Amino acid sequence: MNHFALTIVGRDRPGIVSQVTGILFDLGCNIADSSCSILGGQFAMILILGHPEFNHRESFGDAFKPLEEADLTVALRVLKPGGEIHQALEGEICMVSVYGADKPGIVYRVAKVMGENQVNITDLNTKLVGSAERPVYVMILEAVLPAGISEQDVNAWMDPLREQLQVDISVRIIPTVEL
Amino acid sequence: MAVRSIRLYPDPILKQVAEAVRVLDETVVAVIQDLVDTMVDSGHSVGVAAPQIGILQRVLVVDVSKSKLGKDNNHGLLEMVNPEIIEKSGSRLMREGCMSVPDYTGNVMRAEHIVVEFTNRAGQLRVIEANGFEAVAIQHELDHLDGRLFLDRVSSLKTDLYRRKK
Repeated sequence: MNHFALTIVGRDRPGIVSQVTGILFDLGCNIADSSCSILGGQFAMILILGHPEFNHRESFGDAFKPLEEADLTVALRVLKPGGEIHQALEGEICMVSVYGADKPGIVYRVAKVMGENQVNITDLNTKLVGSAERPVYVMILEAVLPAGISEQDVNAWMDPLREQLQVDISVRIIPTVEL
Repeated sequence: MAVRSIRLYPDPILKQVAEAVRVLDETVVAVIQDLVDTMVDSGHSVGVAAPQIGILQRVLVVDVSKSKLGKDNNHGLLEMVNPEIIEKSGSRLMREGCMSVPDYTGNVMRAEHIVVEFTNRAGQLRVIEANGFEAVAIQHELDHLDGRLFLDRVSSLKTDLYRRKK
C-alpha cells in the first residue's frame, strides 16, 4: 500500500466532505488518519490516504478536477514508504492553554520555547473569540514532554511570556491511564 | 480461579448491556475471582469488568492501590456486583486507554467524586465514596456493563472550545 497526504481547503458549505470522499471511494483510496474542520469561513481537510496500486501523483489522473472546478484548493503529497506510520511518543502529555488580548507573536513565542527545549507539539488549535472591539486570542496545545521535563519546568518557561505578552497561560498534565 | 483472556473490540459482547446478578452464588464468586486473577495477571491493569472476559453479568473489580495515581486515595481491592452510581460531582480529564481497545487513548471527562452502591463478594450491600483516579476507574469499568467503551465518551478539544463560544 502506498500512501499520500491530501489537503483540501475552500469556502465552507454543505457537501464538501461528500464530494471529496465520493471521489476517493471511486478511486479505491483508503482514508487512514484524517482531520477536517472549519477554520474561519473555510473548511479544511487533511487526509492520509492509502492505495494498493497508485504510486505517484499521476496515478490520480484528473480525478480532483471537479473539486478545483468547485473552487476548492487541492494539494497532494506523495509519502515515502513508512511516512504514514505514527511514531510512538514516550512521555507525559502536557496541555498548555494560552489566552489573552489578541496581539502578534503569541503562537510563535510559545512554540519557540517548546521547540528550544525539544518538546514535541502534537496538537495545536487557535481561535479568535471575543468581540470585534475586544478580540481575545485562545490557543490550546498538546505536547509530549521528554524524560526529565516536568509540568513545573514548562510552567517556569511560561513565566516570562506571561509577563511580556500579558496573557494567561495554564499548564497541566493529562494523566494517561490504562483501565 | 483462572486468568481469562481479555476480549478485544470489535468483539460484539463489549457493546452489549450486562444482566444484573439475581442470586450471588458460587458461579458469581468464581466470576469475581477470575476477574481479580485476570486483573492481577495483566500487571498494569487497575480494573476489569465481566464483559471483558466474555461474561454478560454486572460484575467488576477495581484496585488502584498499586498505581501511582491512586495509591494515596483508594479502598484497596473492590469487588462489585450490580454496582450503581448514586451520586456524582466534579469533573476530571484523563487520557484513557483500555485493554479491550489496544493502541488507542482518548481524553475523557468523568466525575471526580462518586458515591457508588454495590453488593460485595460476601453478599453485603455496601456504599462507598470514591474520589479521583479510583472514581474514574469505577466509572470506566461500570461503562463496560452498559456496553459502553471510552470511545463513546471521547471529547475533542476543538469541539469543546467551539461549543463554548456559542
